Amino acid sequence: MSKQFQFKLVLLGESAVGKSSLVLRFVKDQFDDYRESTIGAAFLTQTVSLDDGTTVKFEIWDTAGQERYKSLAPMYYRNANCAVVVYDITQTASLEKARSWIRELQRQADPSIVIALCGNKSDLSARRQVSQEEAKKYADEEGLMWGETSAKSGEGVADIFTAIAKKLPLTAPPSARGGAARPGASGKPGGVDLNKQANAAGANEPCNC
Amino acid sequence: MQAETGSMDVEVVILGTGLREAILAAALSKAGFTVAHLDYNEYYGGDDASLSLDELRKWARERSEPPHTSNYLSSQRARFTAVSSSWEAVHAQARHFSISLSPTTLPSVGPLIDSLMASGSSRYGGFKLLERVALYDKPGYVKMVPGSKEDVFKSSELGLLDKRRLMRFLMFATSEFEDKPELVGHEDTPFVDFLRQTFSLNEGASIAVAYALAFNTTTSDTTLPALQRIRRYLRSAGRYGPSPFLVGHYGGAGEVAQGFCRLSAVHGGIYILGREVTSITTSEIPAPPSSTASPRTRYTLALQDFPEQLSCDVLISTHDYLDPSLKSQATRISSDRPSQAIARCIAVIDKPIVFRSSQFSNSQGASEDETDGSTQVDTALLIFPPSCLEAGSSTAAANVLISGPQAYAAPEGHFLLHLSMPLVEPTSRTAEELLKPYLDATLSMADAGRETSASESQPIRPSHTLFYVQHLPTPPSPSDASQSLGSLFVPPSDETMLSELSDSAATNAETTFWKVVEKLKEIRRIKRESAETEGDKSVEEPVVDSFWPPISDTTVVDQDW
Repeated sequence: MSKQFQFKLVLLGESAVGKSSLVLRFVKDQFDDYRESTIGAAFLTQTVSLDDGTTVKFEIWDTAGQERYKSLAPMYYRNANCAVVVYDITQTASLEKARSWIRELQRQADPSIVIALCGNKSDLSARRQVSQEEAKKYADEEGLMWGETSAKSGEGVADIFTAIAKKLPLTAPPSARGGAARPGASGKPGGVDLNKQANAAGANEPCNC
Repeated sequence: MQAETGSMDVEVVILGTGLREAILAAALSKAGFTVAHLDYNEYYGGDDASLSLDELRKWARERSEPPHTSNYLSSQRARFTAVSSSWEAVHAQARHFSISLSPTTLPSVGPLIDSLMASGSSRYGGFKLLERVALYDKPGYVKMVPGSKEDVFKSSELGLLDKRRLMRFLMFATSEFEDKPELVGHEDTPFVDFLRQTFSLNEGASIAVAYALAFNTTTSDTTLPALQRIRRYLRSAGRYGPSPFLVGHYGGAGEVAQGFCRLSAVHGGIYILGREVTSITTSEIPAPPSSTASPRTRYTLALQDFPEQLSCDVLISTHDYLDPSLKSQATRISSDRPSQAIARCIAVIDKPIVFRSSQFSNSQGASEDETDGSTQVDTALLIFPPSCLEAGSSTAAANVLISGPQAYAAPEGHFLLHLSMPLVEPTSRTAEELLKPYLDATLSMADAGRETSASESQPIRPSHTLFYVQHLPTPPSPSDASQSLGSLFVPPSDETMLSELSDSAATNAETTFWKVVEKLKEIRRIKRESAETEGDKSVEEPVVDSFWPPISDTTVVDQDW
């Protein structure tokens, strides 16, 4: 029988490194050269099917620009199962920012969170400032997954999400700690889904035990 | 990142990220206006925030020091007084607490639930049903409150006659009672008197109905509003379960505020937290020569440690950010409430509270986990009616919202007690003196261990307690009730009642929204008339025909982009 998992994935990284483009490529296989800062993205979902029949559904949260002035709400990190921290291989400073986001995740997020460091804009390797060796070394030291991607060409995008999907069910069973952020989603004892009314009085009676 | 000094131009700046302002920011951003949303604090939620233990400690310290140069802190220090606290050493799990500054229970039917669903921000947070409402009876014991007609019907605690009277009252309370003969002429009668005189309810039933069903907070609370609340709450029951009320995960109002702020950000809202507004200056922009419009005001804000100035057409602010001269220029949205004060206490305990019914054989119909009718609660409400404690108030009711790990308010094994009591008359007693008897009585309900019975167990000691008095902001002195619509708005204060606060925030946000939209439309019209912005898309006539526009197919959860 195939198993289904649902995980909350948060994106982090400096403005303009291509966080939203990466997700747009992953979810819709699209790229828009003229995308400005993120507008209109609440969260997106995309499902990855693994070879063993397991399907992993990602609920992907974008920063919605709230990272710009360090104003990400605690809600953003809550119950995140995995994070993709993005830097721009053509901007050394963006890797520095990625490091500080990773420290923030280690401080704010659940200790079991799976973190992937992602060097975006690999299509612009002619202007590369961050070497693969440097980034990989850092990722290894911190125990992060690592990969390079091009949201523009699509190269590496599916790979990094698939790699996360493969790692997740092993390390973080969603049943354990309310994997999804959706209200009333499985795993939250006594949780109420506002969109579902009680079928009959008592149907949602919280557990008294 | 932004090294150069410049100006960030938006249509609306909102100061304060409390629940009401957060809802407003989301609605204005969704309606297509450009919004910058600021807070002095490094956290979201303002006076509604959910804080970690360390943040709460800092919050208390900041409010117990002498006045400050910042408008915000000075105002906060005048509004949060008599702060006293006792803290045990640093808590290892301090970050895993979400302690609400505005403890609330959310009716399952009402303006906030409507806004959560219609805006789509419901997907960002979680809720839990309130498990129980009980009245304090005697040390260690409570009286369970029948929360519905079914409970009354099943109750064996009530005699047949009392049951019939209570049923008759509940039928009345769920009806369109406004013009019924039972009520006419008694709208302003103290509610307990009304219940006893008109419905012949006995004393116990009257107190239960007035304080644990209508959530009256004083002996003088009148009949009509109390009846209206009961009707709403009874209609809320059954929507998500037997209780009419939900409690938000992670501290409730503060978390809901974060969700609305995220929604605003998703629709272009700019968020800047943890910066002091160092100055607000106004400038007059003359109307174009061809126009008959009067000159309009533009506001420019300077922030500490922020390279850019913010400039806006409309400024919305809570009282705390404005100096008195600006406050007097504010457009009044609706008549403000008279000044009110509320004594509060927050206590952290490491034992669960157990509701032991003093009439255990006849407690309400819901299943009990023990044969003696006692129930360990995670998220529940304990009510102290007036005069129930010798050392307590004879005119005000106190309530205690208990919230624990299942509401994600505290880490496993810990529970929060939020005590609130309105100050009916001026008093020289401190919050601690006023609330200590209630705290002690609540602690007598804690489960000290299975082996000891309620009577012989030692009361437990909280690891952290904080007492303070919260004063509602003083309403701006109205300059002229018939003044034209200005461009500075101070949203009305919310109800302080635990069960009304969140709905009141949503209602106040919507009322303010329509006033602000009217002003913003007027300003866009003037901008269109002036030549300099010709062809500028940002001044197009906005179409705003609802508080929350319908969520279109392209923005449903799974396709949201």
